Amino acid sequence: MEKAIIVDRLIKNFQISQKESGFVGFISSIANPTKKTIHALKGVSFTVQSGELVGFIGPNGAGKTTTMKILSGLIHPTSGFVSVLGFDPWEKSYDYLKKISLVMGQKNQLWWDLPVIDSFEFNKEIYEIPDKEYQKNLSDLVEILNVEDLLKTQVRKLSLGQRMKMELIASLIHKPEVMFLDEPTIGLDLVAQQALRDFIYEYNRKNGATIILTSHNMNDLIDLTRRVIVIDEGIIIYDGPLEDLSKKFAKEKIIKLTLEDEAKKEIFEGFGEIKKYSPREVSISVPRETTAFVAAEILQSIKLSDLSIEEPPIEDVIRRVFKGELAKEG
Amino acid sequence: MTKYLSSFKLALKQEFVYKLNFVLGRFRNIIHILVFFFLWSSVFDTTVGNHFGYTKSAMLTYAFLLILFRSITLSSKSGDIAGIISNGDLSNYLLKPISFFKYWLMRDFASKALHVIFSIFEIIILFIVLRPDIYLQTNPVNLLIFVYLCITAIFIFFNLLILTSFVPFWLPELGWGAQFLIVAIIVEFFSGAVFPLDIFPKIFFEILKFTPFPYLVYVPIKVYLGGSEINLIQSALISTLWVFILFRVTKIVWHKGLLVYDSSGR
Amino acid sequence: MKEIRFIYYFKIWLVMAKNSFLGWIFKRGAIAIFLTGKLIRYFFYFLFLYFLTNQTQGFLGYTKDQILFFAVSYLFVDVAGQFFFRNVYTFRQLVISGDLDLILSKPTNSLFRVLMGGPDLLDLITIPPIIFLIFYFGTPVFSNFANVFYYSALLLNGLIISAAFHIFVLAFGVITLEVDNLVMIYRDILSMGRFPIDIYKEPIKSLLLVFVPIGIMTTVPAKAMIGLVSPVGVLSALIFGVSLFTLSTKFWQLALKKYTSASS
Repeated sequence: MEKAIIVDRLIKNFQISQKESGFVGFISSIANPTKKTIHALKGVSFTVQSGELVGFIGPNGAGKTTTMKILSGLIHPTSGFVSVLGFDPWEKSYDYLKKISLVMGQKNQLWWDLPVIDSFEFNKEIYEIPDKEYQKNLSDLVEILNVEDLLKTQVRKLSLGQRMKMELIASLIHKPEVMFLDEPTIGLDLVAQQALRDFIYEYNRKNGATIILTSHNMNDLIDLTRRVIVIDEGIIIYDGPLEDLSKKFAKEKIIKLTLEDEAKKEIFEGFGEIKKYSPREVSISVPRETTAFVAAEILQSIKLSDLSIEEPPIEDVIRRVFKGELAKEG
Repeated sequence: MTKYLSSFKLALKQEFVYKLNFVLGRFRNIIHILVFFFLWSSVFDTTVGNHFGYTKSAMLTYAFLLILFRSITLSSKSGDIAGIISNGDLSNYLLKPISFFKYWLMRDFASKALHVIFSIFEIIILFIVLRPDIYLQTNPVNLLIFVYLCITAIFIFFNLLILTSFVPFWLPELGWGAQFLIVAIIVEFFSGAVFPLDIFPKIFFEILKFTPFPYLVYVPIKVYLGGSEINLIQSALISTLWVFILFRVTKIVWHKGLLVYDSSGR
Repeated sequence: MKEIRFIYYFKIWLVMAKNSFLGWIFKRGAIAIFLTGKLIRYFFYFLFLYFLTNQTQGFLGYTKDQILFFAVSYLFVDVAGQFFFRNVYTFRQLVISGDLDLILSKPTNSLFRVLMGGPDLLDLITIPPIIFLIFYFGTPVFSNFANVFYYSALLLNGLIISAAFHIFVLAFGVITLEVDNLVMIYRDILSMGRFPIDIYKEPIKSLLLVFVPIGIMTTVPAKAMIGLVSPVGVLSALIFGVSLFTLSTKFWQLALKKYTSASS
């Protein structure tokens, strides 16, 4: 498989000038600006195969959006190599822009006062899509997203969920080969989230589009992505299958017990942290390195009908990713 | 009374928050005056005789008084009420134990105070730079009525603004459209803020003098400049009458509007 | 530089214009009010000029007809500039909300879109009457067709300078988020050109010719029509306009480079 996206040792620094308050501060900041450098990306490298759907996750301010913006050519990297579909994004060649799409949750490209169909037709002109292809793409998209009756509705009258669907249609009407989805489900209700996820999944499968997805929505990641890249403080700390995220970062394992006879909770307290308790079912979280030892001890002292050792749920790990708790350990 | 004093102070602070807007507003005002000033200077310099009953110095005095008058009467904040009514924020104001009218009057005064201070500086600077020949009125009667007309002008404009702000009670989608039409267009031309009303044939002012508009700028300035075209007592009477009429109408429309506002449940 | 594809951009512009006009359909009441307002304003403005020129029979060495022709030439540059570049007024919101990012990631010149993306229906409606007035007041000051040609070229040049101004405003807007006030300042300064700029004393007059060249946008074209500008003068005005335009696009590029997006 060919590589759609290559990112190599990407560095991005922002110069931020501190603003002083008040009139005197305003004048002095013009005369003598105090600048601060923010290291948003500190050498990021990864590649994405064509047709892959990759989750790009990390806490706020980790550098996700910065990376997405560099990939779509909006901002220029301080140093490093970027290539998407063989293009240098920063050159913003129209041939390149026609092959990609950037979708940002809560950002709007639709004409606010007009029926939404006018915005689609505008994009048809911009992307120079032939009539036939446009009609076909549009009806496909409209059908999957189930918004046939809304095309004549003024954008301002759409609900957020409906509008996000329309944003997606507007972004995909030219059949991009690469999509950058930045928080596409943010602010949507559960039903709309699910609809959007199903759609993204389908689109990826059918068209073989390469998709990078950032999200703070656990379900987006679990439902859609097989591979995740975890970034924190401008450094990639994990790049691999979603399932293996726990293996790498969880400090604990979970021992699940099914008891032969009912037992009191106190009996288990010495073994580790009790995650779940009912008189015949107990889950205990124990440090990874002592798992075998603890399990043996339990087997010796309590009558069990079953014992299993599991990785902690992926949600717990992802939650810690969002909080930025993994950087120091990884 | 203290609560109105504190709304005055708060309003002053508010103006400082938007200091850039304020300064640029003043800048635009100065451009307006410069065009007026230089147009008439060159008219008088390159043609023979007086025009429209003005000597050059009277016309340039008109220009300088315009700076002052645009600050005293035509600067105001109560135009914001239109927006407040059309977006439904009015409810917040109605809940407060404070008179809506007095509150906005205070905000107007704050705005005017700042603008007047700035306009005085501008007048001084422009006077030093341009060195125009300015007419000084010495007759105490004219001066007294001039000051009186300044005060009535403030109240007439306040009521005009508020009245046009009430249009969204009935037509919320219009926003400040009605105000734009009445205040930004009609008032600008009929008050004499763009050019002296003497430009037009005499009959024009004879009709217009029964409306409130010329008492905002033109009549007070004419009273200052003296001359026989303006009847001092009549002017003072008509403008006073308008203050009372407008206050009354504003009150009535306000109460009717509140009923509409109430029933639409905005 | 890539080749500029005129047909492509013209088509895009038509769609943008259509969309922008359609937006007005939902605000019919507003159309009526603002149109009335504009018409009243123009009416009084010309009424004032009429009485003024009638009384004085012209001033500054210009005849009555010439003064009126200056005024209507100014009006054309002002209104046509507003018509084409109206979208600038909404630019601040575009930057603040970050929606600009989505425009930048499209395969169309982004400056073209933010500058010309929202032609104003109201201004379009008022342009034909103004063009009529240009003919009406232009007939008495007609001298020869060469001058008419100069006049047209210089009016176009005025629009190019107007575009340059708006581009400067946009570029400043990207950096400082300050747009609305700058546009208003531009319009106010331009309004100084409603009379021939000879009325202003030095140094204001020179400033209006070189530093904020509204004189070149408004007064110079009308003077050319009257026959007061030499071909060399016309040419240098055109060169000035085009260089200012080039400079403004350079400035826009620079500003975009500094643009790092409002949210990150």
